[in-house]
Amino acid sequence: MKPTIQRMSPQIAQVSTLSATMLDVIVALVPALLMGVYLFGLRVLLVTAVSVGTCVLSEYLYRRLRGMSNTIGDLSACVSGLLLAMSLPVTAPLWAPVLGGVFAMIVVKQFYGGIGRNFMNPALAGRVLLTTFPGLMTSWVDAFHHTNLSGQADALSSATPMALMHDGILPDLSLGQMLMGQHGGAMGAAPSLMLIAGGLYLIARRVISPRSPFAFLATVAVLTFLFPRGGNSNLSWMMCQLLNGGVLMGAFFMASDYATTPVTPRGQTLFGIGCGALTVLLRYYGSYPDGVGWAILTMNCCVWILDRLGTPRRFGMGRFAATRMKLQAMKASLSEIRFVKPEFRLFARAGAGTMPGEGYLDELQVKLKELVSYGGVLLAVAVMVFAVHRSTDYATVLAENEAQQALLSQVMPQATIRSETPYYDQRALSITAGYNESQLIGYCVEVQSHGFGGVITAVVGVNTNGEVTGVAITDHKETLNKGTLAMDSDYLAQYIGKSGTIRHEGSNSIDAISGATETCEAITDCVNQALAIVAGLDTSMDVPYTDGEV
Amino acid sequence: MRLKYLGGVYPTTFKENTRRKPIVPLEPAPKQVIIPLVMCTDGGAVPVVKVGDKVTVGQVIAQPEDRGVYVHASVSGTVSDIGTYPHPWGGTGEAIVIDNDFQDTPCPNLPEPMDWSKMNREEVIRRIIEAGITSMGGGASATHLRLKRAVGKVDTLIVNAAESEPYLTSDYRLLLEKGDQILEGTQMLARFLRAKRAVLVVSGDKLNAVEFLERRIKKRDPSAVELVTLRTRYPMGMERLLVRMVTGREVPPGQTALDLNCAVFNVATVYTTRLALLKGQPVTHRTVTVSGGAVARPRNLWVPIGTPLKCLLEAAGGLREESPCMLTNGPMSGTIQETLEAPVVKNTKGLVCLSQQEHDPVTQPETVCVRCGHCVSVCPMNLNPAFVYRAVRMGEVERLKGLHLADCLDCGCCSYICPSHIPLLELVRQAKTIPTQGGEKG
Repeated sequence: MKPTIQRMSPQIAQVSTLSATMLDVIVALVPALLMGVYLFGLRVLLVTAVSVGTCVLSEYLYRRLRGMSNTIGDLSACVSGLLLAMSLPVTAPLWAPVLGGVFAMIVVKQFYGGIGRNFMNPALAGRVLLTTFPGLMTSWVDAFHHTNLSGQADALSSATPMALMHDGILPDLSLGQMLMGQHGGAMGAAPSLMLIAGGLYLIARRVISPRSPFAFLATVAVLTFLFPRGGNSNLSWMMCQLLNGGVLMGAFFMASDYATTPVTPRGQTLFGIGCGALTVLLRYYGSYPDGVGWAILTMNCCVWILDRLGTPRRFGMGRFAATRMKLQAMKASLSEIRFVKPEFRLFARAGAGTMPGEGYLDELQVKLKELVSYGGVLLAVAVMVFAVHRSTDYATVLAENEAQQALLSQVMPQATIRSETPYYDQRALSITAGYNESQLIGYCVEVQSHGFGGVITAVVGVNTNGEVTGVAITDHKETLNKGTLAMDSDYLAQYIGKSGTIRHEGSNSIDAISGATETCEAITDCVNQALAIVAGLDTSMDVPYTDGEV
Repeated sequence: MRLKYLGGVYPTTFKENTRRKPIVPLEPAPKQVIIPLVMCTDGGAVPVVKVGDKVTVGQVIAQPEDRGVYVHASVSGTVSDIGTYPHPWGGTGEAIVIDNDFQDTPCPNLPEPMDWSKMNREEVIRRIIEAGITSMGGGASATHLRLKRAVGKVDTLIVNAAESEPYLTSDYRLLLEKGDQILEGTQMLARFLRAKRAVLVVSGDKLNAVEFLERRIKKRDPSAVELVTLRTRYPMGMERLLVRMVTGREVPPGQTALDLNCAVFNVATVYTTRLALLKGQPVTHRTVTVSGGAVARPRNLWVPIGTPLKCLLEAAGGLREESPCMLTNGPMSGTIQETLEAPVVKNTKGLVCLSQQEHDPVTQPETVCVRCGHCVSVCPMNLNPAFVYRAVRMGEVERLKGLHLADCLDCGCCSYICPSHIPLLELVRQAKTIPTQGGEKG
C-alpha cells in the first residue's frame, strides 16, 4: 500500500506526461521508418504493424490476466514494438517479430514489474533473442530491391557493410549512400540521416539527455579513428563504422532508454562510454558483424554500479573531500565483510549404534547420494558446455569442413559430397561414399599399413568400377625428405586409374621412389587393401539409408 | 567567475501579465487590517496597545519579546481586537486588528531623517530594529541579526533581485521605479558591512530593469555597485545558489553564506532599509503582485501590511474563473491559501490564483517512476530524488543514509519536472523526518 502524500508545492508542473514523451520518441522514429519503406518496400510496414501489435497485445493481455492496471496508454509498448521491428531485416518471417515482441514485453518487461522496473531494454533483448536463430539475421536485402509482402526479395545482397567491415574491408559506399541507408541492413537502422535527425529532435525536446548517446558515439568514433583495420584510412573507416550497423539506432534510441540506463548524469556518460568501447571490441573481435545489441545489453546489467559511481558530488563539497568521503564509505563497507572459517565436519549428524561405526552408515549414504547428484549435475553441465562450445565454435566447424573437402578433392576429384555409409570392414578405419550431384562415384576407404617409421594412414578413393581415383596420406611417421618424397602428388598420381592388385614389379606396378621403398610398399599395400575392400563390399545389402551431409 | 550551477528548471514565467503594470496603491483601502504579531522567524512580539486605542500609520503596536522586531500599524484607526486570526504561513496566529478610519494620519513621533554616513553601528542596528525590518523575500528572518553577524566578515554583498518565481514582478517593478533608491541602499549596506564588492543580481527576464540600472550606475559611481545578469531559471534566489553564481564558491554543507564571506539581502529589504535609515520610516507597506490566470486584472499593488488577501483580489478585479489553487509567494515554493482571510505580511511577495488550465498538470495522477533521471539533473543541490523515491516507497530506510537529504532547499524542481507526476518534494520532506541508522549529520 502506497502512502498517499498530498502535494503541497510546487503547484505548477511541466505539462509533459509519460505518454507524451513516448509519443515524441515515436515521432522521432517515423522518418527512419518511412525511409525504410522507400528503401525496402511496403513489407516494412507489415512487419512493423505485426511487431507493434504483438507488443501492445501481449502487454495488455498479461496485465489483464494478472489483474493489473492497464498501461498500454503510456505508449511504451508501441515504442518497443517499433524499435524491435526497425532492427529486423525486411525479409524476416512474421513469426520473428511475434516471438521477439512476446519475449520483450512479457519476459523482459512485465516479469520485472512493467515500465520503469525492467533492467534490460525490451526491444533489444527481443532482437538479440532473434539473432540466435541462424539465417534469420543474416539474409539482408539490398536497398531498392523491393520485397513483396510475403517476404520474397528479388535479390539478396552479397554482404552488408557490417559483414565487409568485419573482415576489414571498407564497403564501397559514398557518404550520401550511407546517410540515406542505400545498402543492405535492418529496415529502420539503415537511414542514418533520419536517425540522427530523430535523435537530435529528442534532445532538443529534452526527452533524452545528450550524455549517453554522445558519449557512445564519441567513444566509437575515437576508437575506430585510432585503430582502423585492414589498412584503411582513419577517417573513412571511422565514418563507415559510425554510419553503418546499429550504432546510431542504439545510441539515440536504446542507450537513452529511461528504465535501463543510469539516472545520474555522470553514470549516463559512463554508460555511453562503456557501450561504445564494448561495441568496438565486439565488432573487432566478436564473431558477429555487429556488437551494438550485445554491448547495450551488457551495459544495461551494469546500471546499478554506474548509478553509484556517477552519484553527483555533494553540493559544497570539494572534489578532494568528496573523493575522500567516497573512499571512506568504501572502506567502511569493505570492513563489513568478514571471512568466517566454515565449520567442516564430515559426519555432523552421526548417531549412536550398537556396532562400531554403525551410526555413520546412514550419514555416509546421504553424503554419497549428495556426491553422486552433484557429480551428475557437474557432468551434465560440462557435457552441455562442451556440446554448446563444439556446436557453436563456428571457426572450428568451418575449418574441419574445409579440411574434409580438401581431402575429398584429392581422393576423389569427381565427387562433390562425401557421405557416410553403413558399410563396415575389419581392415578399414572408415568407409565413406562420394557423390556428385546425381550419382554415386565411389567409396573413400581409410586404411592403415606399416611403413618404415610406423603406421601410415591413408584415404584411398575407389570408384564403382574398381579403379583408384586418388590417394591421400592423412597420418604417418616417416622420415623427412626420404619417406615424405613418396607422398608428393606426382608419386601418388601414379595410382590413379589402377585396379585389381598392384604389384611391386612387373605389370600393374608403379615406380617406387629409390630410398623410400618401404614407404612406397606401405602405400601400395594401403591401396591394395582398399581395392580389396571395395571389391568385396556387399552393396546388395538392403540397408535403410538416408543421404545426409557431412 | 562561474555563473553556473547544475540543475534548475525553466517554467513559463507568465511575467508578461504584470510586468508593465506600475505599482499602484491599493484601491479601495481595506476596511480592516489584521497585523500578525509573528512576522519574523527570529521571534514574536507582544502588543503595546489595547483594544479601543487610536493608532496612526507607523505607530508601534507591538514590541519584540527578545530577538524579534517591532510591529507597526499600517493604517490609522482604532484597535478593534487582539485575538487569533489566520496566518498566511499556514495555521493561525495572534494578531492585532485595526479598523481603518481612511485618514492615513502619519505617526507624529517617527525618528528624524538624518545623514546615514554619520551614524554609528549601534544607531543603524537600533533604527533597523525599530523600523521592524525583516527579510522581505522568502524567509522572514530579522535583518538586524543578519547584519550584526555579517559586519566586518563580509567581502561580497549580494543583493538578490533574481525573482525567479513565475508570475511575480514586484521586485522587477521596484527596480524600475525605485532603481536609484535601491542602488543607494545597496551602497549604504555595503559601506555598513565594509564589503569590498556589492553585486546586484538580476535575472535575464528583467532586461528593461537591467538597462535602466546600468544607465543609473554609470551616472552614479560605476565602481560602487556591480550588476550581474543571469539566465532566467528557477531556483535562483536561493542563498547558496546566488553565492555559487556570483563568487563561484560553494557553501559547504552545514555552513551558511556568511562562512564564505558573503551576505545576501533581498532587493525589497534593501529598499526598506534605506527608507528606515534615511527617513526613519518603518515597514508599513510593501509591493505585492496579484497575478495568475484566474485573476481578472493582474497588477502590482502597494499594500499596507495586514491587508486581508481578499481585498487584494478585489482590487485586482476579482476572479475571472474559479481558481483551484491560490497561493502566496508564487506557485513553485509558495504556500497554498485555502481561504483568502489571511493578511499580507512582510514577506508576502505576491498572490497567485492559478486558473484551472495552469493547475491541471499538477492534478494528473501519479504513475510509477520510469527512471528518466530528470529529477537528478535538475536538482541544484546534486541530490538524487529518484533514489529517495525508491527507498521510501520500498521501505528501505537505511538506503536514505548517504543521500544528504538535509541539503534539500525545498525548491521543488524535482516535483515540477517529473513526467510521472510523483510528489518528489513531499517524499523528500517525509524522508528527512525518518531517522536513519547512524544519524548522519548535515
